[in-house]
Amino acid sequence: MKLCNILNSLGLILVAFGIIMISPCIVALLEQEYSSILPFIIAATLSVALGLIFRKYGNFSRNFDDLKRNEGILIVVLAWIVTAAMGAIPYLFYGLSPIDAYFESVSGITTTGATILSDFSLYPKDFFFWRSLTQWLGGMGIIVLFVAILPQFAIAGRQMFFTEAPGPTEEKFTPRIAHTAKALWLIYIVLTLLEISLLVWADMPVFDAICNSLTTMAAGGFSPHPLSIMGYDNSSITWIVTGFMFLAGSNFALQYRIIAKRKPLALLQSEEFRFYSIIILAASTCLCLILLEANAYHWNNAMRDSLFQIISLITTAGFSSADFALWNVAAQTILFTVMLVGGCAGSAGGGVKVIRVLFGFKYLKREITQIIHPQAVLPVKIDKKSVPDGIQRQILGFFLFYFALMICSALLVTAIEGNGAIGLVGTAATIGNIGPGFGEIGPMGSFGQLTIATKCIFIINMVVGRLELIPFLALLHPDFWNFNRTELFKHHRRIT
Amino acid sequence: MNLLIYGATELGYMVAVRLYHKHSITLIDDLEKPPDRFNSLDISFVSGSGADIDALKQTNLEDCSLFIACADLDEANIVACWTVKKIMDLETICFVRTMELYRNLVSPTQNCYQTRYDIDTVIWPEQLLTQDIFRIISVPDAIDVEYFAEGRVKLFEYRIKEGSILRNIRVMDCSFPPDILIVGITRDHNLFIPDGSTLIQLDDKVIFMGTGPALDSLAASIFQSSNNIKTAVLIGGGSVGFMLARQLEQSGIRVKLIESNRERCVFLADNLQNSLILHGDGTDLELLEEESAGDADVIVCITNNDEKNLLCSLLIKQSGSERRIITRVSNSRTAQLFEKVGIDVVVSPRESALTELLNRVQARDVNILALVEGGQGEVLRLTLPDSFSKIRVMDLHFEVQAIIGVVKRGRNILIPNGNTLLQPGDQLKIFTMAEDAEAVKTLFAP
Repeated sequence: MKLCNILNSLGLILVAFGIIMISPCIVALLEQEYSSILPFIIAATLSVALGLIFRKYGNFSRNFDDLKRNEGILIVVLAWIVTAAMGAIPYLFYGLSPIDAYFESVSGITTTGATILSDFSLYPKDFFFWRSLTQWLGGMGIIVLFVAILPQFAIAGRQMFFTEAPGPTEEKFTPRIAHTAKALWLIYIVLTLLEISLLVWADMPVFDAICNSLTTMAAGGFSPHPLSIMGYDNSSITWIVTGFMFLAGSNFALQYRIIAKRKPLALLQSEEFRFYSIIILAASTCLCLILLEANAYHWNNAMRDSLFQIISLITTAGFSSADFALWNVAAQTILFTVMLVGGCAGSAGGGVKVIRVLFGFKYLKREITQIIHPQAVLPVKIDKKSVPDGIQRQILGFFLFYFALMICSALLVTAIEGNGAIGLVGTAATIGNIGPGFGEIGPMGSFGQLTIATKCIFIINMVVGRLELIPFLALLHPDFWNFNRTELFKHHRRIT
Repeated sequence: MNLLIYGATELGYMVAVRLYHKHSITLIDDLEKPPDRFNSLDISFVSGSGADIDALKQTNLEDCSLFIACADLDEANIVACWTVKKIMDLETICFVRTMELYRNLVSPTQNCYQTRYDIDTVIWPEQLLTQDIFRIISVPDAIDVEYFAEGRVKLFEYRIKEGSILRNIRVMDCSFPPDILIVGITRDHNLFIPDGSTLIQLDDKVIFMGTGPALDSLAASIFQSSNNIKTAVLIGGGSVGFMLARQLEQSGIRVKLIESNRERCVFLADNLQNSLILHGDGTDLELLEEESAGDADVIVCITNNDEKNLLCSLLIKQSGSERRIITRVSNSRTAQLFEKVGIDVVVSPRESALTELLNRVQARDVNILALVEGGQGEVLRLTLPDSFSKIRVMDLHFEVQAIIGVVKRGRNILIPNGNTLLQPGDQLKIFTMAEDAEAVKTLFAP
């Protein structure tokens, strides 16, 4: 592992991120909140300066095409940690403690949407814009963003691209990785713009429309309104957001194929998408019936809110069109179940991912059939193709790690907070990048009153959940950290 | 007609045996001299490669009107066909044995590529065999089925079992729907064409010809079979097994496929959607019992090994299965033995291929539509010329054994009786003994 490669890449990312950080200033100028320009200028300057220092240590090398696998993984993990730290700087100016600021920033950039804020009236508009923007940047993936916009990553990006999006399916649909990244961002931007215009048409204030659209497409869930989507009290807005959350939770590569390659059936042909739709329909129907049973709702609203809430939680957006923390336990159980599923592979959503759940079911079915027919040869097929053994093992390993981590975190938090609901639901909500849980940390509550230890655990959960565990686990292996050993070896040979 | 056959193989031999009486045949092969059995045939032999222009020139290619490539190597056959085409425009028939090549060569999309493959007829025996087996399966209880005239006319072959209402009844006394004729009976492996006074006996194989709906009601009323095959067990997952399983899947039949090669199993499991692939040996009695193979509606043994097929069939039979067992045989001589030990249906890729080939070789207005009982009987198609004078069927005087099964007039299908008037332009499907085919042709088309 070459330190200069890592510093150089991180430096590049920080400089670019610093430049993006200036954008809230434009909002501040438009809204004439001049006092709030300073925090962002300072944060941007710090980020660029740190980036340049890193670049200097890396000798401003422009060539890191020979990036090793473990270097790529380390860069990706550090990029998320460091950009989140930079993104937290502006929050410090608004009276947030460092750990709270970092929590809010990580929650933003990992598209979780868990907030420590309780009183939204204290903060200026560019503050909310920045929250939404971090989610939008993190939604498609920071690395995917920089691979798309920085030509230096054209080749090295390959290594990092798949570390950041390690879903079980290959997402590269053009021969060159930079083209793929650009195409993904193109779809992402087009959908975001479309949602903004639809929300404005539905009478949402322009600023709110922008912020909500940024976080919808990222499956993030930050809203500038303290009551989330419920606060706008507008049925058409709820339906629009429902639709775009649904798209955000399905595979962007397939959406690209529909729009750019004119293959309108690409999504329907995907077994994962069909399963995703079936889960949503089945779960929202159940939820709707439960709500009607509880007599709290008119059936029209019950249908709208159950569909919205199921999609919001399965795509890991975490918006709320109703305070679901007040719903009965049966309803909350359904919500918790879909929380564990997550979006499709290659989407902005986090969680276990639909394709892994689908695989899990098929694997179970295979094992049962195998008991009845011991000599049968039974491949597990998704999209009519057999899943290779290597990927099968990887998915099972993922499940094991995911639930092991979840149990550890849930137990720890329960012990610290003395509250099982916060422990279990909070862990599920952060590791799956969903955001709000139930009870105190529900959609109308906040994570602010939790202890520092809990916040640290949740921060780790969010980052690890966003990177889908595997890069994080790789960091824990001792062989990962073999700095410069190859170079030493070369040097040694030259002497002899 | 002069024919050129490339490849002194088993298939080449069967083709030569069938054709050397009527056509002059030249055989070309790499061998120094032809295998012994070819020497008993009246054909000439040229030693050399089928892709060698010099060798081909020695065969009087200019006088030939058909080239049949049936060597053991697919690529050699293809190259030979191309080489012949380069020399002169000759009709070519090419045998292949792999799915990929067959698909390439017959694919209808090939015409939109830069150049066509340019082979007139491609025959893949196993594909034809798959079609045959599928046909037999889709009509239960019949032991052989052929379709003519786009499926509007069918030929069924049934075995008369104990307790059948047709047993010990004369043909003229049989009461079955109109539009059906009994065209042939096989007794002790001898095919003959019955007349009204023939008595139908136990274990006869009776061949019916008629329109589709009429035969279906025959199947329902007399043979009391319900046409609902739901499950099938295939033993052997080669090309035939694979293609058959895919076809059965498409018609909604649950398939269990037993294959002994692990890698082939994985391939089959990857490429078939709903079939259950079992890794094991078809002769493993425990496996057969555990998977209750004997309870499937139809059992098909299609490994490439005759002995194994026989053993599998017998194992299933002795486990008390009353179901139909279809077995593949490569060697036509052993086919009779198979029937003797009580296996219902015997099919062979070579016979399937031979039917197809002979169909192409026949003269222009006569076609062989089907071979029955290993080539003892044939179904001919001929069109009555304009010079033909109208005559009633009962007034025709056949010197030979033949029966007019179907008359196609315009778009109508008639099943003739004695009073049917034959007209010029009618297309007849005639069931006849192979040795009488020539006489029948001259009778109608002098």
